[in-house]
Amino acid sequence: MGVAITAPELEPVSRRPGPLRTALFPYALIAPSILMIAGILAFPLAMLIWLSLQHYGLKELIQHSGEWVGLQNYQAIIADPLFHQVILRSLIFTFTCVGLTLVFSTLIALLLLKVRQLVRVIVMSSLVFVWATPVIVSVDIWQWMFDYEFGVINYLLTQLHVGNFIHHNWFDNPVQGLAVLVIVVVWGAIPFVTITLFAGLLQVPSDVLDAAQVDGASAWHTFWFVTAPMLKPIFLIVICLSTIWDFGVFNQIYVMLNQRPSSDYFTIAIYSYRESFGVTQYGLGAAIAVIMVIILVFVTFFYVRETVKVAEIA
Amino acid sequence: MRFRKAWFGVLFTAFAVLATACGGSGTGTPTEESGTLTVWLMNGSAPQAVIDSVNADFTAKYPKVNVKVEIQQWGDIGTKLDTAFAGSTPPDVVELGNTLVAKYAAAGALEDITSKKSSFDNSGTWLQSLTDSCTVSGKLYCVPYYAGSRAIIYRKDFFDAAGVQAPTSMDDLLTVGQKLMAAHKSDPNFSALYFPGKYWYAALPFVWDFGGDIATQSGGKWTGSLNSDNSQQGLNKLLSIVGPLSKADKTGDEAKQDAAFAQGHIAMIIANGWEVGVITDPKAGNPALKDKLGAFPIPSHNSGQTAPVFLGGSDLGVAAKSKHVNLANEWVAMLTGQKHMTDMATVGGVIPNTTSLLSLGTGLNAVFFNAAKNSRFVPNSQNWAAVESANVLPDMLVKIFTKQQSVADATSAASNRITTILNGGG
Repeated sequence: MGVAITAPELEPVSRRPGPLRTALFPYALIAPSILMIAGILAFPLAMLIWLSLQHYGLKELIQHSGEWVGLQNYQAIIADPLFHQVILRSLIFTFTCVGLTLVFSTLIALLLLKVRQLVRVIVMSSLVFVWATPVIVSVDIWQWMFDYEFGVINYLLTQLHVGNFIHHNWFDNPVQGLAVLVIVVVWGAIPFVTITLFAGLLQVPSDVLDAAQVDGASAWHTFWFVTAPMLKPIFLIVICLSTIWDFGVFNQIYVMLNQRPSSDYFTIAIYSYRESFGVTQYGLGAAIAVIMVIILVFVTFFYVRETVKVAEIA
Repeated sequence: MRFRKAWFGVLFTAFAVLATACGGSGTGTPTEESGTLTVWLMNGSAPQAVIDSVNADFTAKYPKVNVKVEIQQWGDIGTKLDTAFAGSTPPDVVELGNTLVAKYAAAGALEDITSKKSSFDNSGTWLQSLTDSCTVSGKLYCVPYYAGSRAIIYRKDFFDAAGVQAPTSMDDLLTVGQKLMAAHKSDPNFSALYFPGKYWYAALPFVWDFGGDIATQSGGKWTGSLNSDNSQQGLNKLLSIVGPLSKADKTGDEAKQDAAFAQGHIAMIIANGWEVGVITDPKAGNPALKDKLGAFPIPSHNSGQTAPVFLGGSDLGVAAKSKHVNLANEWVAMLTGQKHMTDMATVGGVIPNTTSLLSLGTGLNAVFFNAAKNSRFVPNSQNWAAVESANVLPDMLVKIFTKQQSVADATSAASNRITTILNGGG
């Protein structure tokens, strides 16, 4: 049996805003942020998608009018065998970089908990220094270090009798060359991740760790079953950000290889740049960039979902 | 009524004349012209003294025009030019590497100056390769500026110590190189001929000397020809010389060759004339080498002859969107005229834009100036810049020198790629 409930008829209060105004007020408050985000993110993204559906060469760029070609640019890219290699290379490169960054950063962050205050200050300062160095400057220095003729790495390895590295070319073999690039990228990524994880570690209550120790848990078990789950939200965020950054890596490869990387070193960002500015096919380059965004959305979807879940529980 | 109408007519005409005269686009008297003329020159093209002299002459004629010369860097200039030409206020005058002109002319970025050709000094004796680079579909889009051609710079003291003379054929080059290698066998870093793997400008003379070419055009269609028998013969010859004589990076480019040469472990490099200055520069190089350097042309495989060389260089174009087309042309005419070209040759040591001034090359420069007489150019297509951007030639050479591919396979892949790109494919 249903019970009919009728709302009491209330006299409108003249000083309070009307229902429409009340409903719109939150939107008005959020409008500036929405407009800002739309201007900075949505508009360029929409332009990018628009550009990717046109034939847009140098002539069209100068005349400011492209030729509508629908999905032809996407078809051309998907048919290009180089594109498949590039995607695979970018994914392997990204996962390697993110994995190594996480392992080293976690180890350094854990180490920072154990060391004396002075050592901690020195290590943290060094990390901030690495982080603050402009990418182009640091990559230039890496390039000198790995130089074929004048490089200190070749000199040191030879002096240490690791082998004869005089005139050893690190970029002769793409696997070796990409390994060098992984080192450069991971080196640059460690400071941010370490400092973030270290901040998270400081929040882990010591009584929980003490309890685990009393219960006889080993160091590894303590980390895996106590510390890591507590750091999960932070891990998710740094994995998500590192994946986005490493997937779009450009400067390190472009500068290390003298602005002329061969196709063996193309990651998706380099490939997009080459198509846009190298061979002046801006429509094609835009289509690659759109595909890059779509892949990133897929790759990071899992992390974002987990992050949201964790946030909901909290 | 009629009287008032007539007055209106007179006033309107007078106003129109005045407005046109003040327009700043070159139809008024020089002293009345005003505005700012923006000029983009590339790093290292003209000595500052020459630019100052041109600007002084220009300001004397157009006292109210402000000339702003901005020096650009070669790395990534393509990206910068694309965005500049796409904007509404591009620079009025632009220096363009001669392999880039066709791309920008075909896209409508440059002013057609065909009808003004005769107004430029020495236009009848401009270097043919540079004039070709400025000509797209029979129309002239730029003025030849200066050229650079390569020869071999060598260490005279090393040659004397090894008892060898400047070689007169490619086989002789190998023999001389082997003697030098033998004389320096205790130095593991020694290169008789230092040849970085991506140095395609220096590889082309070998291709051309055997009758090969990058691509040929027939019926409006391009066909890559680096895989022709003649081209392959040239590249095989190059490989047979570079293999035993060079310790240079097989995947590197020529950017560091002068610094490497200055270190004293190299007997020969293929280089431009101005690189002598870099090698002997007190800061970046080694001034002690000044009297120890010599130069000779790249020898042909036919004894006693020289191989055709790639004629690099720059042209000066006027942007089609320029608001000061006439002033821009006037400035270009001054820099490329007899007076300042003479300065470019004598002060700057670069090859001037006209054959009538080639005799100005003296000393070592004479070798480089003479090399320009037997010079060739890349396929003059609007799509050539895309071949360069795609690194087709450097990648092919790297594959050959590192033995990742045979000459036949590498040239075949490169030729196919060149055919596709030159005919408009990506």
